[in-house]
Amino acid sequence: MSTPPVIKLDHFYAHAPARVWRALTTPEIHARWWAAGDVRAEVGHRFELDMGAWGKQQCEVLAVEPERLLKYSFAPGLLDTTITWVLTPEGDGTRLTLLHEGFDVESPMGKKALEGMGKGWPGILARMEQALAS
Amino acid sequence: MQQADVFAALSNPVRREILVRLRGGPIAAGNLARGFALGRPAVSEHLQVLRNARLVREERRGRERYYHLDPEPLSEVETWLAAFTRYWKDRMAALETVLDEEEGDA
Repeated sequence: MSTPPVIKLDHFYAHAPARVWRALTTPEIHARWWAAGDVRAEVGHRFELDMGAWGKQQCEVLAVEPERLLKYSFAPGLLDTTITWVLTPEGDGTRLTLLHEGFDVESPMGKKALEGMGKGWPGILARMEQALAS
Repeated sequence: MQQADVFAALSNPVRREILVRLRGGPIAAGNLARGFALGRPAVSEHLQVLRNARLVREERRGRERYYHLDPEPLSEVETWLAAFTRYWKDRMAALETVLDEEEGDA
């Protein structure tokens, strides 16, 4: 891996992994919580996500493990990032972990995202420690 | 240009470890290199990359060189990432709402 995972979030859902998986891989459901697009759990499948003001972003599925892992490239040429969803059964529910990595702050979207934002103290070092410990 | 250098600098685990160690205050070059299994020349190269990205700066004290953490460039990365983190938290919360609705329909 050439870049550290720069965004890592997780969230617990009181729903079985099969249902969470469905929400990640079924276009009709996907459009209701994130963006419209022809997402499909099939390696090599290319699709577009309609990100509204950010435009339509190209994606390509890189890895699929049914009800466990879905990984795709996101916005190549613009953000050049990779999104990975990991589903872990937890009790009667599912812990969903999101990894969004490979950011290039020099990209057009990166510049746009930086505009108008103030500067804060870097908590990134704390995150780096976590990455090093894992 | 500077931000891109910061990302390249952060992409290496040795360089991230150097930054973490420098959080406690400046460290002499020799002491810094001793903490790594790498040779001193390899550590020096990593320090050079960090200096180019302006994440560390060098200070001469007599015959020793001390390295200081300079976190300013990191704040650019941090604010940028914070925007995306907020974005994703919103999306993950929206997913919860949709799942709850789906369960109700089932």
